[in-house]
Amino acid sequence: MMLDYFFGKNIPGLSGSGNLSGQLQAWAMIIQLMAIGLGAINLLQVHFRQVSRKTNMAIYSAWFIVFFAFLLLLGLYKLATGVELYPYTWVFANVYTSLGATLYAITGFYVFSAAYRAFRARNVDAAILLIGGIFVMLANAPIGEVIWSGFPLLGNWFNNVGQIPGMRAFTVVGALGLMAYGFRALIGKERGFYSEAA
Amino acid sequence: MSGQTIWDKLQQVDRRVFYWILFVSLTVPFLTPLGLPITVTPSTQAYYDGLKTIEAGEVVVLSINSGVSAWGDCLPAMVASVKQVHNQGGKLIVWSIGYNDCDITWTRIKTTLPEVFSTWVEGTDYVYFGYCPGQETNVALLRDDIKSVYTKDVRGVATGDLPLMKNINDASKIKFVMSSDTGDAQIYYIRQWKNGPVNYVKSGKPPLVAEMGIAMNKSGDMVFFLSGDEFGLVAGSRGAAELEALVGRKGDATITMDSISVSHVLLVLAIILANVGMFATRGKKK
Amino acid sequence: MGVWIILDTKFIALLLLIASFALFYAYMRLAKGGMKIKVRTFPAVAAIPEAIGRAAEMGKPVYYSTGMGQGTLNNQGNGPQTLAGISILGYATRLCAKSGVKITYFTPIADSLPLVEETMRTAYMAEGKPDDFDPTTAINFQNEQSPYLTASLGWIQREKPASALLFGGFYYESVCIAEAGNTIGAMQIGGTANTHQLPFMIAACDYMLIMEELYAASAEISGNSDVIGSLRGEDILKFLVLISLGVGIILALVGNTSLIGLLKV
Repeated sequence: MMLDYFFGKNIPGLSGSGNLSGQLQAWAMIIQLMAIGLGAINLLQVHFRQVSRKTNMAIYSAWFIVFFAFLLLLGLYKLATGVELYPYTWVFANVYTSLGATLYAITGFYVFSAAYRAFRARNVDAAILLIGGIFVMLANAPIGEVIWSGFPLLGNWFNNVGQIPGMRAFTVVGALGLMAYGFRALIGKERGFYSEAA
Repeated sequence: MSGQTIWDKLQQVDRRVFYWILFVSLTVPFLTPLGLPITVTPSTQAYYDGLKTIEAGEVVVLSINSGVSAWGDCLPAMVASVKQVHNQGGKLIVWSIGYNDCDITWTRIKTTLPEVFSTWVEGTDYVYFGYCPGQETNVALLRDDIKSVYTKDVRGVATGDLPLMKNINDASKIKFVMSSDTGDAQIYYIRQWKNGPVNYVKSGKPPLVAEMGIAMNKSGDMVFFLSGDEFGLVAGSRGAAELEALVGRKGDATITMDSISVSHVLLVLAIILANVGMFATRGKKK
Repeated sequence: MGVWIILDTKFIALLLLIASFALFYAYMRLAKGGMKIKVRTFPAVAAIPEAIGRAAEMGKPVYYSTGMGQGTLNNQGNGPQTLAGISILGYATRLCAKSGVKITYFTPIADSLPLVEETMRTAYMAEGKPDDFDPTTAINFQNEQSPYLTASLGWIQREKPASALLFGGFYYESVCIAEAGNTIGAMQIGGTANTHQLPFMIAACDYMLIMEELYAASAEISGNSDVIGSLRGEDILKFLVLISLGVGIILALVGNTSLIGLLKV
C-alpha cells in the first residue's frame, strides 16, 4: 500500500479496486466490520452476566438485552426483505441521534467549568494564555466587536498567526514520532500492544 | 467555613451553579434575538470565493463525515454550501466515508432547502450514495474508481445508469470536495486526492479540498488552510453564520450566534471573577 | 517513464522516508551494540505508579481509556495512538495486578478487543494472578462514541475511581471524562496526539503526554535499548528537519525556491 501511495498506476497490477492494493484495502474494511460483531458478542456477555448475577445494574442490562434483540430483529428483517420498518428508522432518528447530540452539547458545560478552573493567572505564562484566550473567545462571538473593535482584530491574529507556528510544530513532531513508532511496529520491535507484559 | 471571604467562596463555587446560569442565559437569545452584526473572516471568504468559481455543469462532492452530534457546527455550513452550488448551476455528489447517520443529515439538508430540491432532479443534478465504511481506505478507492465503492445510489439505481455519473468514475472530473468533518477526513482527501499518486497529479487537475469543521478543530484546520492544502475553511457555528451571510440565506448558525455571544461573555466574566478572587486571596495570605 | 518517476517529488518523499527509517534502524543497532542513550523521564509515565498506589490506598478502582480513536484501529491518525495506549495499559494493568487494584478499560473500538484482552491477561499472568482477570468486568466495550461516553461518565459517578488514565486518540469525550474525573477528585494522567484535544486535556489532567511523547512512552516503559535507540534517531531527524527549515527560509529570502519545489508534494 505504500508503493501504491507513492507510485500509483505506474506499477501495473497494483493500484485500483481490482488489483492488489484495492484488494488489501477491501480486506482491511472487512476485518474492521467483523470486529463489530465481536464487540456485539462482548456486550451481550457483559450484560447477560449482570442479569444472571442480579446486580444492582441488572435491570438496565435486561433492558439493554431486550432493546438489542428488538433492533437486531428489525435489522435482520430489512436484510431479508429489503424493507426498512418504521420503528427501526424512528429509533435511530429520534432516540439514538438525539441522545448523541445531547451528549455533544454537554461538552459546552464541561468546557465552561474546565475553563473556570484552569484559566487562572498563576504565573506569566498562564496570564498570557488567559489574555490570548479571552481575545480569541471574544473574536469568535459577534458581541466582541460590539464591545471593542480590537477584539476580533487581535483574536483573529492569535488564530491565524499567533498559534500557527505552535500547531505546525505539533503536527511535524507528531508525524515524526508516528513514523518512528510505525517503523518499530513494522519491524516487530514494538510489542507492547500484543501481550508482551512491560 | 467561618473566616472565608467572598473571594474564597467565589473560587469554590459549585460547578452546577454555573451550569444553571449558563443554561438559562443560553435560552434567552432564542426568545429575544440580539441580531448582532457578523464580519467575515478570510478563511470563510476564501471558501465562498471557491464556491463562486463553480461553472454550470461542474461537479463537486459533499462528503458528510460528521455525525448528528456536530449538527450545530457543521449542518448550517453544509446547507449554505449546497444552496450556493445550486445557485452556481453546479452538480453535486454526496457520500459519507465514515459516519452512518449521514442519511439523517442529508434528509435534513433536503428538507431545509425545498427551493433547491424542487428544481433539482436526483440522478441528474445530484446523487446521494450514502454511507460506506472505510475512511481513508475508501477515499483512496474513490479516487480511482467510484463504482468500485458505490455500485448504486441509495435508491438502488446502478451508478453507471445515473446521468450525472455517466462520464465520472474517478476524482479527476471532480472540481473540489467539501468535507464536513469533526477530525481527520479532510486530511484523507488532501493526502489521497489533492496530493494523490504521481500519475494523478500529473494529469493536471487534482481536485481541491475545502473544509467545514467544528470550532474545536479550528486551530488545527487553520494550518491546512494557510499552507494552501485547503482553498477554504468554515470553522464552527461562527464560520457557518459568516457563510450564511455571504450566501444570502440566514439559517440556524445565525440564530445561534446570539447564544454564542452570551455564553462567551459569561465565560469571560466568570474567568475574570475567578482571577480577581485568586489575586484577592493571594494578597490576603501575604 | 523511468526518468520522470525519479524527478517526481513523490519519489523524493519516498527516498526521505526510507532515509528516515535507515536513521532509526542505525541508532537502534548502535544502542543494542552498547551505546548509552539517556532518555528524559516523562513525568506522566513516572506518575502512573503513584496513581495506582493512590487507588490502592483508597481502595478504589482505576479508570483507563484509549479514547474513541475514530472507532477503529484501521485509522492512520488514531490507530497508532490506540496501540500506544494499549501498550501503556499493559504496564498499568501489571501494576494494578501487583497492588490488587481493580482496573476497568473503556473503549468503543471493536477491533482492539482481542489485543486488549490479551494484553491485560498477560499482565495478570505475569504477576501470578491469572484468576483475578475477568474480561467481562475489566473491559467495557460500547460500539459508538456516545454510548462509550455515557458508560464512562456513569461508571465514574458510581464507582468514583481514585485515578483515571487517558492515553490514546481522544475526541470530544476527553473534556467530558476529564471533567467528570475532576468532579470526584480523581488523579488524572492523559496523553494524546490529537492537537484539537490537547488544550482540554492539559487543563483537566494532572500529568500529560503531548504528541510524540505518547509514542515514546511505550519505549520508555519497555526499557529495551534498541527501542530507546529509535528515540535518538527520531531526535536526530527533528534536528535535520530544523536545519532544512532554516536553509529553506534563507534560500527563500534570497529568492531561491528550489528546496521548496523539491519537497513540495
